[in-house]
Amino acid sequence: MRIKFLRKVLAAGLLFGAAATAQAVAADDVQTFTLANGMKFIVLESHTIPNANMYTFWKVGSRNEAPGTTGLSHFFEHMMFNGSKHFGPKMFDRTMEAKGGSNNAYTTNDLTVYQDWFPATSLETIFTLESDRIAHLNIDPKMVASERGVVLSERSTGLENSNIRALQQAVNGVAFLAHPYSWPVIGHESDIKAWTQQDLEHYFKTYYAPNNAVAVIVGDVKVDVVKKLATRYFGKIPKGATPPAVRTVEPPQTGERRIFVTKESATSPNLVVAYKIPVANSPDYYALEVLQSVLTDGKTSRLYKALVEQQLATQVSANGSEGFDPGLLYVYAVAAAKVEPAALERALLAELDNVVNNGITAEELDKVRNQKLVNLYREQETINGKAQQLGNYEVYFGDYKKMFDAPAAYAKLTPADIQAVAAKYLKKSQRTVGVLAAKED
Amino acid sequence: MNKPVLAIFAAAAALATAPAMAAEFRLPAFDTVKLPNGLTVYLMERHEVPLISIRAVVKAGAVNDDAQPGLSNLTGDALLLGSQAHNKKAIDEAFDFRGARLAGGAGAEASTVQANFATKDAAALLPLFAEIVQQPSFDDAELTKLRDRKVSGLKQAKESPRNVVGTYYRAMLFGSAPYAIPASGTVASVGALKQADVRRYYQQYYRPDNAAIVVVGDFQKDQMRRQIESLFGAWQASGPAPQQQDNGKVQADKARVWLVNKPDAIETTFLIGGAGIARNDADYVPLQVINTILGGRFTSWLNDELRVNSGLTYGASSQFNVLAQTGTFAISSFTASAKTRDALALAHKTYQRLWDNGIDQATLDSAKAYVKGQFPPRYETGEQLAGLLGDMYASNVDRAQIDNFTRDVDSLTPARAKALVDQHFPRDHLQTVLVGKAADIRDVARVYGEVTELDINADGFQPPAN
Repeated sequence: MRIKFLRKVLAAGLLFGAAATAQAVAADDVQTFTLANGMKFIVLESHTIPNANMYTFWKVGSRNEAPGTTGLSHFFEHMMFNGSKHFGPKMFDRTMEAKGGSNNAYTTNDLTVYQDWFPATSLETIFTLESDRIAHLNIDPKMVASERGVVLSERSTGLENSNIRALQQAVNGVAFLAHPYSWPVIGHESDIKAWTQQDLEHYFKTYYAPNNAVAVIVGDVKVDVVKKLATRYFGKIPKGATPPAVRTVEPPQTGERRIFVTKESATSPNLVVAYKIPVANSPDYYALEVLQSVLTDGKTSRLYKALVEQQLATQVSANGSEGFDPGLLYVYAVAAAKVEPAALERALLAELDNVVNNGITAEELDKVRNQKLVNLYREQETINGKAQQLGNYEVYFGDYKKMFDAPAAYAKLTPADIQAVAAKYLKKSQRTVGVLAAKED
Repeated sequence: MNKPVLAIFAAAAALATAPAMAAEFRLPAFDTVKLPNGLTVYLMERHEVPLISIRAVVKAGAVNDDAQPGLSNLTGDALLLGSQAHNKKAIDEAFDFRGARLAGGAGAEASTVQANFATKDAAALLPLFAEIVQQPSFDDAELTKLRDRKVSGLKQAKESPRNVVGTYYRAMLFGSAPYAIPASGTVASVGALKQADVRRYYQQYYRPDNAAIVVVGDFQKDQMRRQIESLFGAWQASGPAPQQQDNGKVQADKARVWLVNKPDAIETTFLIGGAGIARNDADYVPLQVINTILGGRFTSWLNDELRVNSGLTYGASSQFNVLAQTGTFAISSFTASAKTRDALALAHKTYQRLWDNGIDQATLDSAKAYVKGQFPPRYETGEQLAGLLGDMYASNVDRAQIDNFTRDVDSLTPARAKALVDQHFPRDHLQTVLVGKAADIRDVARVYGEVTELDINADGFQPPAN
């Protein structure tokens, strides 16, 4: 899903969190508290604009589903807006918007994240609304029926408008034979049409316990006020059982896998090469981040020069999944006119081999460090960038404070470290190659 | 993702919208300076992060392309292909190595080159930026590559109806007038562009008396002003200044439908509407409030009916797309091919509520709070503020529109809203673009006016000339 890529960009910016400039956020600026029921709050005061946000990260995503209920996490995300004890259907949005607030949410393989953006003076309204749906969600069968149509439209509009999405779904299905990362976050069409009231109620009971959430609040607020209101509104929600662990472990991949997707309206072939990579919280994380940037960030990146400048592709990009379980590093390219997918693939793989065999230069490593630092400033320019960063680090790395260790981690890396992770992960036996085109040859 | 409608809005509104602000919000102070050579310079200090955003805004765009659609956009992008003193490789390396962003292009009426970089890199990158704007080389080999990539991009854009539906709509509404010209051009028109065309366009429009330099970020104004003067003060115009031209009016003498056939479509993407308002219209701000109620937020009438009540779509919205001289208005949504009839009927019925039911005080109060509350994050970053100042320059928007925003929102009454609806929202002779599988939706299309069928695989955004 789109959000996975967004997340990568945001996280990339974060890594120099302790940079020694007056403007950067420092670890001491961030305050946290945990309610008796286990719900954790991370708060950062930021007074540039009179607004604030609340990002609630739930540790549930499509990896917690099973065949027959694929897409349920995402559907549930929608149902969280459709009525609770004190705010019937539509009233969550109506109440929030009348107080100047707006909201959205997204679901990934690993997480479901709810985002509220509001004038800071509306904080108590936001807490009232959020706590009511967490404590007393009402799953109205009528709303379930219309929401199915909404999600079917969301699914089809994604496939209609994005070749990359269609191709990525197909690649995931081949790259993972056993693990839930194999199915699309939005779910299979047949499952969207079939899940039951009981499935939804079970999901809420299992995963929406306050101890399975982290709330991040950034903006024109006072920490002590946030704490007082959080205790009042969220403190009485009972703690739940720890959700069951995901049991399935993807068996090792022992050879290259390939898939072809036909889409009549494609004007040029799309190529994805996806390599197995470890969980986000791995010792190789930062080296992989650098590798990805060296490959595709900017007009001087390896693949831009080898493919776009050489007129084999019109665009290239790369995204590493950040997950609780081992995932994929996707490398994408769209073929230029009259370029066969096989020729594009050869050139792309040759450049990856070049990094594996010859490594990167010290200058490339410096460049990526510079890029990460400036991206950090860009993220810290907004309250939303800050909230996203804090939440990502907290959930994926177990502690938001780890974002402040990132500069040291980057500083420590050498070109040899990057070559080593390239050699370790960019292996033929560990990749899945997908091609989307108008016609199969 | 729960709510695409909001994402669409945020993107469109952030670019086109100067409005809104909570009571506490004020546009940060900025200086406007006019250099002796006619160049307008805007300087706004922001010290939240050590970043600087700079952009050159030229009052020329697709409306000046004449018979060469895409020329302004290619020219704006081609500026990045090297200067007299530094080739493309040197420029790419200078910006990339420092994590800087650099981009160029053009829209309907303005061309923009923009950069964003760390404060400490200003000394290295500002002179390069000035070279790019004033002494481009338009290297022929690089230009050919860029042009070919744009041609591929034009073909790829039609893979996604969402990308192109608005271009068809503008072409339909403005007919043969300059506002109908697609900014990205067509495969044939861009494919035919030559270095000489780009040079001529540059010579004609890129001149200090037709441009502004906007700088926002972490610097001292006096010092930055001196630097801009030294980098751009010698830029000289030659020949007569470009004349103001009439870019056209929306043609809506009768209800028309353009049915764009995409044979493998699984859904229908549609726009319905007509004439809108100019960027500097005196009613710009109150119309944003009214449009919020109709189709500018999640609980808007359109999204409530088409999404929440009926499950016909993932999102339905409406918006005014403003231009300097006029603008368009459109309802926007998409639905499964088989549900096209229901979705179009419901969109029309919902739209008519503006006249049938009107807007009550409670709804208006909610929309006012919403528009004010959502304003400050739109101008939170240096890039956003630079975009606003550039937009004000290109579209002749007085800062009073921004300074008076709260007043203009607060003073809107239901009676005034009714008058504005009557005055500005197109009610009759609605224009419709449908992108979908024609075989499945041809009969539905006829309900909404005189139908013209187009093939999405045909080049350009107009029906074939006959």
